[in-house]
Amino acid sequence: MRNIIEIEHLSKSFGDVKAVQDISFSVREGELFAFLGVNGAGKSTTISIICGGLMKDSGTVIIDGHTLDDNSEQIKRELGVVFQDSVLDKSLSVKDNLESRAALYGIKGEAFKERLKELSVLLDFKDLLKRTVGKLSGGQRRRIDIARALLHRPKILILDEPTTGLDPQTRRLLWSVISELREKENMTVFLTTHYMEEAAEADYVVILDAGKIVAEATPLELKNTHTGDFITIYGINETQVELLQKPYEAIRDAYRVSVSNTAEATELIIAHPEIFADYEITKGKMDDVFLAVTGKKLTGGTEK
Amino acid sequence: MIGLGLLIKRNIKMFFKDKGLFFTSLITPLILLVLYISFLGKVYRDSFAMSFPEGMEIPGKLLDAAVGGQLVSSLLAVCCVTVACCSNMLMVQDKVTGARKDFVVTPVKGSTLALGYYVSTLISTLIICLITTGAGFLYLGEVGWYLSGSDVVFLLLDVFLLVMFGVALSSIINLMLSTQGQISAVGSMVSSMYGFLCGAYMPISQFSEGLQKVISLLPGTYATSLLRNHALRGIFEELEADGYPSAVIESLRDGIDCNVYFFGEKVGLPTMYGILGVSVAVLVGVYVVLHLVKRK
Repeated sequence: MRNIIEIEHLSKSFGDVKAVQDISFSVREGELFAFLGVNGAGKSTTISIICGGLMKDSGTVIIDGHTLDDNSEQIKRELGVVFQDSVLDKSLSVKDNLESRAALYGIKGEAFKERLKELSVLLDFKDLLKRTVGKLSGGQRRRIDIARALLHRPKILILDEPTTGLDPQTRRLLWSVISELREKENMTVFLTTHYMEEAAEADYVVILDAGKIVAEATPLELKNTHTGDFITIYGINETQVELLQKPYEAIRDAYRVSVSNTAEATELIIAHPEIFADYEITKGKMDDVFLAVTGKKLTGGTEK
Repeated sequence: MIGLGLLIKRNIKMFFKDKGLFFTSLITPLILLVLYISFLGKVYRDSFAMSFPEGMEIPGKLLDAAVGGQLVSSLLAVCCVTVACCSNMLMVQDKVTGARKDFVVTPVKGSTLALGYYVSTLISTLIICLITTGAGFLYLGEVGWYLSGSDVVFLLLDVFLLVMFGVALSSIINLMLSTQGQISAVGSMVSSMYGFLCGAYMPISQFSEGLQKVISLLPGTYATSLLRNHALRGIFEELEADGYPSAVIESLRDGIDCNVYFFGEKVGLPTMYGILGVSVAVLVGVYVVLHLVKRK
């Protein structure tokens, strides 16, 4: 798989504030790429530079073989962006909104009508076309935001916290559409999110803190590197769990023992088979990874 | 220019559908109408009647037409600029709502966006101002019609030029704004101040001499005077035909700003057109330069 996004030594400052400091990473074609960081970590600045909304101070940005400095217009044709907050015109109808935005890509007349039909089926908003955007619910508006981003059939879809504040049903619909697009059109998805369960589904994750990359790998590698495993043992008492001589915590009907990796868990099981009658081994979660590498918790839009 | 037509259509729709922007743009003309109904009409009438020497009286129909002409020209003078300013606020509102961010990620050029705002503001403002002009003509027809065909054509030309001026001026001002607070502040300032500065609420001739000199430096003054001249020309012609002394007529023209003086020098109508035309060209030039500088 080739790299569709290549960022090399990218830096951007606002006065004395170094928003992005010499970051380099690449995104492979067709993958779901997660870009994580607390507010102010540099995610939005990086995205704005990629989209041509901000000038970089230094570094190179190559999208689908085009350098940003020489081919920003071509690059913009390959990117679809779903912003954190809806940027559609609230006083206009859904159709008027999509028509005016499609025209900015040169899509008009029959071509627009055809694309509108496809998208209204894909995102299930046929009945909403004449409705004013300002009167739609949060979930309905999000579907129109995504339709707007897909109008020109982009190769890369940038999703800036797309599911924040959405109900579970709309989140599910949104992710099923994205999966379908990735499957059918090999679309690359560049995601920023505060939901760690969404990041855990990514093919590759980059974690940003204070403008620098602090960790990057697949979710599994990140978990293996930055968190240990957990053995949840059922049907034992505290005296038995103390025999294992490992850190533990009591949960409602079991004890949760921390071990550094799966091999250590196996050794414990072999050494104390009488304790492990009913148990399960789980990997650490992306929340644990995030906490381990940044020292901060990322929970639904706010960091702690 | 990809998407210019639909961008203009979108901007015009946004203006007319956004009740906040639309009604704010009508505040100044409405203030003027309320002032006129409550007391300005009487002030105009008294000051016009008192301009005649003792023993000389103006016929009632001519007086009504003169006061009507003054109202219509004042209304158009403020309308063309304040409506343009409010309509052009969409440029700032798009920054506030994030729509501008959405435009920037498309391949559309910055110059297309800038032209889109300019042309759509021009069209929206012209629609409102031409409707106002039509209503003004109906009103003049009711109180006394003394306009010739050429007066009507020149009044329409004055409205068009003043709208061009208002759009260019507001484009420059709005280019610097980026928040809702700034929109409200500038909108209120323009709405409240422009009526005074252009002599719509009160004739410039009634201001102090120093202030008159300052106001004579503003291009809007000449636009108001052009509108006054064309709205009232027929009345002065009628007075002349009725044998009123030219000194009296000249004093009337001075009193209601048909004659404007630049540091003591009377400014002719062709010069007024020149000033307005050059102002529009300079303001559009400044807008283009500022736009290019801002992009860099």
